[in-house]
Amino acid sequence: MLKSISKSLWLLLFAVVICCIVYPLALWVVGQTVFPFQANGSIVKGPDGTPAGSLLIAQPFTKDEYFQPRPSAASYNGSASSSSALAASNYALRNRVATTLGPIVRYGSGPKDGQLVAPDIESWFQQDRFQDNPSILLQWADAHNSLAQAWVAADTMHAQYVTTWASTHGPVVEQFIKANPAIPQPQPSDLAVVFFETFSKEHPGRFPSLATHTDSAGKATASIEPAGTGTDIQSTFFDMWRLDHANVNLQNVPGDMVTTSGSGLDPHITLQNAMYQLDRVAAKWAVDTKRETGSVRIEIEALLREKAFAPLNGLAGEKLVNVLEVNLVLRNRYGVPS
Amino acid sequence: MFLSTWFLPVALLATTTFIAFPLSKYLAWIMEGKFKAPRFLGWFEEKLDSGPQDWKEYTAALLIFCTALFAFGFLVLVLQPWMPMNPDGKWMLAPSTIFHSAISFMTNTNLQHYSGDQHLSNFSQIFFILTNMFLSAAVGFCALTAIIRAFRGEKLVGNFFVDMWRVVVYMFVPASFIIGVIFLQQGAPMTFDTFARVSTLESPSTQQTIVVGPVAAVEPIKMLGTNGGGFYGMNSAHPFENPTGISNFVNTMAMMLFPFMLVLMYGRMLGRLRHAVVIFSVMLLMMAGTIVWSVYFDTLKPNPGLTGDSVARTYEIPSASAPGGKRTVTVPAVGGLPVDQHLGNLEGKEMRFGTSAGATYAAVTVDVTCGAVNSEHDSLNPIAAISPMVGMWLNCIFGGKGVGMINMLLYVIIGIFVAGMMVGRTPEYLGRKIGAREVKLALIALLVHPIMILGPTGLFAATDWGLKAVSNPGPHGFSQMVYQFSSASANNGSAFDGLGVTYGLANNPAPAPEAVPWDIAAGLVMLFSRFLPIVAPIAMAAYLGAKKRAPQGLGTLRDDTATFALLLLGTILIIGALLFLPVAALGPLAEHLGPIPFGG
Repeated sequence: MLKSISKSLWLLLFAVVICCIVYPLALWVVGQTVFPFQANGSIVKGPDGTPAGSLLIAQPFTKDEYFQPRPSAASYNGSASSSSALAASNYALRNRVATTLGPIVRYGSGPKDGQLVAPDIESWFQQDRFQDNPSILLQWADAHNSLAQAWVAADTMHAQYVTTWASTHGPVVEQFIKANPAIPQPQPSDLAVVFFETFSKEHPGRFPSLATHTDSAGKATASIEPAGTGTDIQSTFFDMWRLDHANVNLQNVPGDMVTTSGSGLDPHITLQNAMYQLDRVAAKWAVDTKRETGSVRIEIEALLREKAFAPLNGLAGEKLVNVLEVNLVLRNRYGVPS
Repeated sequence: MFLSTWFLPVALLATTTFIAFPLSKYLAWIMEGKFKAPRFLGWFEEKLDSGPQDWKEYTAALLIFCTALFAFGFLVLVLQPWMPMNPDGKWMLAPSTIFHSAISFMTNTNLQHYSGDQHLSNFSQIFFILTNMFLSAAVGFCALTAIIRAFRGEKLVGNFFVDMWRVVVYMFVPASFIIGVIFLQQGAPMTFDTFARVSTLESPSTQQTIVVGPVAAVEPIKMLGTNGGGFYGMNSAHPFENPTGISNFVNTMAMMLFPFMLVLMYGRMLGRLRHAVVIFSVMLLMMAGTIVWSVYFDTLKPNPGLTGDSVARTYEIPSASAPGGKRTVTVPAVGGLPVDQHLGNLEGKEMRFGTSAGATYAAVTVDVTCGAVNSEHDSLNPIAAISPMVGMWLNCIFGGKGVGMINMLLYVIIGIFVAGMMVGRTPEYLGRKIGAREVKLALIALLVHPIMILGPTGLFAATDWGLKAVSNPGPHGFSQMVYQFSSASANNGSAFDGLGVTYGLANNPAPAPEAVPWDIAAGLVMLFSRFLPIVAPIAMAAYLGAKKRAPQGLGTLRDDTATFALLLLGTILIIGALLFLPVAALGPLAEHLGPIPFGG
């Protein structure tokens, strides 16, 4: 027994020396001398010579001039990798994808082939009928309580708007309290569903959206106002619009464009995804550099094809491009996006 | 598409099998003590040698050492705030999480209720993680070696400490170094810095802080030792842990390598290679089955959450409060979203590994009870997720380092016993009669696993502990709980990551509400499910080995034939199916068949 304890401690000591000191130090020496670029995180320098990112870690790009990485459940935070962990059966997954799709999806055939569906979603929303029943907003809030609550909680301005609404709709709030004795003092998010119900009655075909006004002095003020157009409507109600237009042919969006990766830091997109973004990117650079779109497009397409690679040389998957690598070339070639 | 889907899994299985055959010879050679170490290494060996031990002494030494390892790990984690290599002053983990993590790594489970990149300093990553990864993997290996020696009829089954030294220093360290250099070349960082800070390209005023560290040192033993605890929260899905398609191939192969070799080592050391090859084939068949299942349902099928279902469905469900005892629920139709899903379900997948890499890895990592993940298992297609669960439930498809083979031996004993009963002959294994005592010990070891999964799952599913921790609605929430305890009990370590089990650092103002009960319950499950199935089989092997060897007769059930393979396969599938079919039906099957999306 005592012997075993002492031998255990010896073994522990030897193992710590070998496995925690000798072994990592040996690898560290190899790394820092033979593979210093990789060993320090594959950091690449930007146009001004300072570190601009790691080739292996996705970073956010929002400007139209740049190719955009896959959406990230980690908000591209390089120190907190994370996945969405959403199950296929969780409506949150479907909703996230649908809201991304709404503003970018295009018709795939018919008279409007190639045009955005977004304007049609807005006019459909203004008519305010879903599956032969009136009031889209009411049906949305009823079917997706959690989304209605999430809208209220998403922004302090939203919450404030609901609070103001509650102060002018005393009877509605009282009725809510009577129906929900467990919530004697409802918070704005508790009232989300009744708020949307009343809102849809008072403003049919409208959605509370952010509006910015500039007064005569040039000072901008933001407020929430009922609106019949805007990205809020395009994204929030795309899923319902789709159900009302189930047989309309739409262009498919590449899968990796709307799904989050396992780490939230996936630095690659498929070549197919890059090609999908190519028109937008090329058009924008053409404006910035005052050149013709066609020739810019050809240049960038050649760049994509040159940089594209496939896992295990194509034995295991389709062609990919590294987003930062390509964007870095674009930045160096065409300058700062306007 | 056919090639890019199936090349990877086929190449993995073929390459690993091909390497395992010759290399297992080297393993047997070392464990037999035929390798004469250079003098300076021999000094350590002598220093550790406490003389030949019988099975009781060997087991006691094993348990004492694991206790010491637990204490050491606990201490390192507690001391984190005061140790070096902690530039941003990370505080210690919550006490319950320290308890959980120390057990988790000591038992070779590596279930993580924390996130390495957010909660551990590089000091803890090296001294807690590396120590445990090398040593806990060796413990299972040594247990198997002791069992082999007992089966050979040896009264003295070797010396635990010398065995540990041999496994760690003559196998794991050199193998890890080689794989580490490959990972380094592919892009894994190897530095003692904690952060790399960059100004992003689009808006240079925005800083991105990237966690780096000794990743290339942790990664090889994480895979080779079937440990599976990631340096980063998202494990092998993280681009630094697994930078390329090649690193992913090596990574997957590394976790299969030792489990493959150990089965063959068993045969070599017993002089019964043919018997081991039969067992190997059964395992390989089951592994291929789980891979085909997950690849077929995850890579070749779209994510059902995004596809359409044009008809509304009405379900009748029992309800005590409704008139007539039944209530109808109507699930509205859903429209198909315009998403190109020809690459399968991409939610939670990384692009650079290859089309079927996520699904393949999901199956392999549970079969060999590694527990590393290169995609988010929570987001696997519902029916595909059965594959990783089955891997954990059976727990013998190659299985963890040593213990997988031990679990398989239990099925072998039970299978032979059942077959013996059927033909009315005393069952024999390795020429020795299997008696009541051996079967009892085998059953104890075998039944710990389902009890430790089903019991706690039932408890947590019925209380707020579970209900407030699940992050997905309906049957998937239940799957999350089942998966967590299956992973703990199989000493696997992968998880459905949405489950709210992370307390974080002790000073975290907003921890997951039910993190503490999960820490404690999963910790205890890992402890029991690790050591009972090690101790009982060693005892069983010792009792069996002590019996007289009977000469092989005409009526002896031969253990190196296809018939035996079928018998073994049948035993495993029937026992596994009987034990776990009900929870599979309540979780992933119900999710697959039920409405998708489930609720709003």
